[in-house]
Amino acid sequence: MPAGSALGRYLNIVDYALVGLARKRGKNLAVVLLFTLVVFLISSFQLLMGALQESARTLLAVAPEITVQQLSAGRQVNLEKSMAGGIETIPGVRRVRERIWGYYFDETSGANYTVIGVPPQDLLYEPALSHSLMSGRLPGGSPGETAVGVEVPKGLDLGGRSHFSLFRPDLSLISMEVVGRFSAASSLLTADLLLLSLDDARDLFALPVSTVTDLLVEVANPLEIDTVARKIADRYPSTRVLTRGRIEKTYKVVFGWRSGLGTVCLVTVLGAFAIFAWDKAQGLSAEERREIGILKMLGWQTGDIILLRFFESGVVALLAFVSGYLLAWAHLLWGQGWLFRPVMLGWSVLRPELVATPVFALWDLLQLLAISVLPYLAATAFPAWRAGVIRPESVL
Amino acid sequence: MVNSTANSFRPIYLLGGLMALLVILATSLLWSARQAAGRQADELASNQALVRGLGLSDLCLATEARYIRHLAASDRVVVSMDHPGGIDHFPSSTFFIRVP
Repeated sequence: MPAGSALGRYLNIVDYALVGLARKRGKNLAVVLLFTLVVFLISSFQLLMGALQESARTLLAVAPEITVQQLSAGRQVNLEKSMAGGIETIPGVRRVRERIWGYYFDETSGANYTVIGVPPQDLLYEPALSHSLMSGRLPGGSPGETAVGVEVPKGLDLGGRSHFSLFRPDLSLISMEVVGRFSAASSLLTADLLLLSLDDARDLFALPVSTVTDLLVEVANPLEIDTVARKIADRYPSTRVLTRGRIEKTYKVVFGWRSGLGTVCLVTVLGAFAIFAWDKAQGLSAEERREIGILKMLGWQTGDIILLRFFESGVVALLAFVSGYLLAWAHLLWGQGWLFRPVMLGWSVLRPELVATPVFALWDLLQLLAISVLPYLAATAFPAWRAGVIRPESVL
Repeated sequence: MVNSTANSFRPIYLLGGLMALLVILATSLLWSARQAAGRQADELASNQALVRGLGLSDLCLATEARYIRHLAASDRVVVSMDHPGGIDHFPSSTFFIRVP
């Protein structure tokens, strides 16, 4: 490359910057590794939150328009199914469905299962539902039939068996038969699920015949959901009326930097970058000043020295940023978020797979750049200028 | 200026090699992400049928407590389910922001 070309000049300065970095390779390697680690940590958290929000947005977009729960002393209790008749008379309501659901705690393993019971005829409204099974079928009209999620056979230690028993509240046993198993692809929804018929769920939880857990209300016009919800709340003041919009809003805000883990990640990362920037802003050692004096005597201009310092910082920051960001993607895509999974699962005995495909968002990338690379480069600016204006005769 | 023509190996080649490795990694990740997104798109219809048919309101992320398993459907006092004034003591709740 001709020595006089602009590109050649820049490449030569980059070469010299790299040689300069290699001279203190231990320290600079440590900075790159730490920088990569902090970018990895914050990117992983950001990408995981984005992936979960996107999953919730797409999957729960068809959540029930309105769910009616009965509250007593602020707690959810069973409600009288006769309420369904009153709700059906509200204009705009297309259909009201009964549902019994709850939790079954297995004392042997310590696992919590979600049990949902719906009338078998309700399942016929969704022909695509059976495609979520990897084997078998949905529970039909025969008592004791159940479809289970992927974690349930492990939790119940079924092995190859399809029959097992559950305890009713009076400790009598109810026999169940696994007739279907949900696929791993639906594990984000069904991993801990036992799907029963409404009658079997009522039998398992020993609920009175006149009660159900909640009512699912279908509204003909989506624009009228809030209006219908308000009418239900007015007619039945002791109920909690949960709309689809409320569910969507919950999942928009439940993942974010204000969570405990998010705050810890953010504070750690900001602290790390503050240390990096402080280190950069410390200025020049005597050896560095001498080196710059020699370069100036050899004909380097002030602008060249400033470029050299920026290239040194830029190579470190950009290499670490790109590496950290890509490792964060690999962490989610190939590692299923192994770093955060223990925190997300907590003491759960059932350990559903974390299916979270990261979504690229330019705004998130720019935010990350703004809190990592830019402060590091900005901290270089003043020392770079100070280096550039050194007079050779003052240091040699 | 440094005259690097006498030495055929330039440090920038090493940087270029590193960047090339990162580009290969990025390409692999992009390909994997597209595959995963394609699989999820194929499964979306059946998963949405599950949500509609069973009236699901929450994702199954953790099962250690009711209000973590069902973030949207749990009542507000369930965090104190063990006794009045009981504090939230489950590790996984550090992952989520409680919605009022």
